[in-house]
Amino acid sequence: MLKVEGLSSFYGHIEALRAVDLRVRAGDITTILGSNGAGKTTLLRTISGLVPARYGRILYFGKDITNLRPERMVKMGISHVPEGRQIFGDMTVRENLELGAYLRYRRDPSSAIKKDMDFVFKLFPILKERESQVAGTLSGGEQQMLAIGRALMSKPRLLLLDEPSNGLAPKVIRDIFACLQQLHQEGITILLVEQDVQIALNIADYGYILRAGKIVLEGTAEELSQNQTIKEIYLGE
Amino acid sequence: MINFAQGEFAVFGGLLTYTFSCVLHIPILLAAVIAIICTAIIGALMERLFIYPLRNAQIINVIIATIGVSILLKALARLFWPEEAYKVPEFTSSSLTFLGVTQRSQTLWVFGLTLIAVMLTYIFFNHTRVGKGMKACSINREAASLVGINISNMSLYSFSLSAALGGAAGLINAPYASYGSGLFLGVKGFTSAVVGGLGNTFGAIFGGLLVGLIEELIAGFLQVVFGISSGYRDAITALILIVVLLLRPQGIFGRREGVKV
Ligand SMILES: Nc1ncnc2c1ncn2[C@@H]1O[C@H](COP(=O)(O)OP(=O)(O)O)[C@@H](O)[C@H]1O
Ligand SMILES: [Mg+2]
Repeated sequence: MLKVEGLSSFYGHIEALRAVDLRVRAGDITTILGSNGAGKTTLLRTISGLVPARYGRILYFGKDITNLRPERMVKMGISHVPEGRQIFGDMTVRENLELGAYLRYRRDPSSAIKKDMDFVFKLFPILKERESQVAGTLSGGEQQMLAIGRALMSKPRLLLLDEPSNGLAPKVIRDIFACLQQLHQEGITILLVEQDVQIALNIADYGYILRAGKIVLEGTAEELSQNQTIKEIYLGE
Repeated sequence: MINFAQGEFAVFGGLLTYTFSCVLHIPILLAAVIAIICTAIIGALMERLFIYPLRNAQIINVIIATIGVSILLKALARLFWPEEAYKVPEFTSSSLTFLGVTQRSQTLWVFGLTLIAVMLTYIFFNHTRVGKGMKACSINREAASLVGINISNMSLYSFSLSAALGGAAGLINAPYASYGSGLFLGVKGFTSAVVGGLGNTFGAIFGGLLVGLIEELIAGFLQVVFGISSGYRDAITALILIVVLLLRPQGIFGRREGVKV
């Protein structure tokens, strides 16, 4: 579904991604793991068009989408839940969700958009309760749910998630990851960036390890959880 | 974002209305509409020529660029309208008495049209798709682009819109205003917005009323008590700006948070 070939991105002269190759199979949860500063966020931002790619290309269903503008990506069904949630803090929960469907108001009937809003409210009932609350006043977990809900409102086929567990309590993380699994069952393909190796490998089908902008290891979730190096470095065993 | 050329749009609104109505003899209301459209186009040109190329620059550089544009527009205005003063006719010439006070009917136009402009702006930002997109952009540009909003178009629209509003404000007030007051109108508008909280329409209007009131009161006080001329009123505005920026940089209605762009 998504294929990244020899992708390199720079911040000034700093090469944050070095010839990254990876593929995301339709229907899978694919995860990118790595410690702070490894380049995970840069990789997602390059895929969704926020950071320009200097070398390499990104193929989506075989079509070259390298360096298209972010709104084109959304139109094609790629939706990015950014690092740090980035919700519209001054707006209500409902307004945030409506903005998620920004590109669909001309294309889809309002009944379809309403249906997706109901779907999001069923997935995250707390958002329904907080519907007319200003988003900036939500708790961290609720903001993460809102960020995911907003991304879902564009009806994506591929969901890019940047560290959804970051800064959340274990119980909240479990709830959110259960929802991700549910989305996976609904047929949405997920590319999940995580620092929390354990929890990511629990739900993922396939994973890549990124270090200093390079892919250093890849394999099925099972292979990776058995891998000795990973056990030592990332799982602390 | 702060646009220091905003006051110049007001000046152009007034000057263009003068040209259309007094030189080309177009009826005043039609002349006003054409003048507003022209200022909107000037705003759009400004965005594409000077702001868009700076889209990846730091915000302070963009703000400095708006000061440059302000100077450029002022020079252009001097070029095409070289005389010291242009008298724009009042919309209607009658005066009316209300509660024993006689007012020129232009005062009513100022109030009425300001009210309509505020209401339209409010409806635009809260009940239309493009307006909400623009608001989203002002809260978080990157998040806006991730939900599919074309932020470069939004920047163009918002400059045209604020130019049109500035032009409208200028021409409504034109029968009163003095030429060359652009930067001061800009400073005044900016002070009002700061007082009310940047990015908050109602805050800005309220701030405008408050600044106007304080200015009147202090100027009146100085004149009556100390016999100091009311020519210092612009200095009073500047003083309010400094005091508010020091004591309550988020404005009266603003929440305390990071600087929004
Ligand atoms: N805006 C930026 N400007 C310059 N360097 C950056 C910027 N963003 C990230 N970097 C650098 O790029 C590298 C990768 O960062 P990032 O992609 O955020 O890593 P991760 O998400 O894995 O923590 C880091 O060394 C970081 O310092
Ligand atoms: Mg990151």
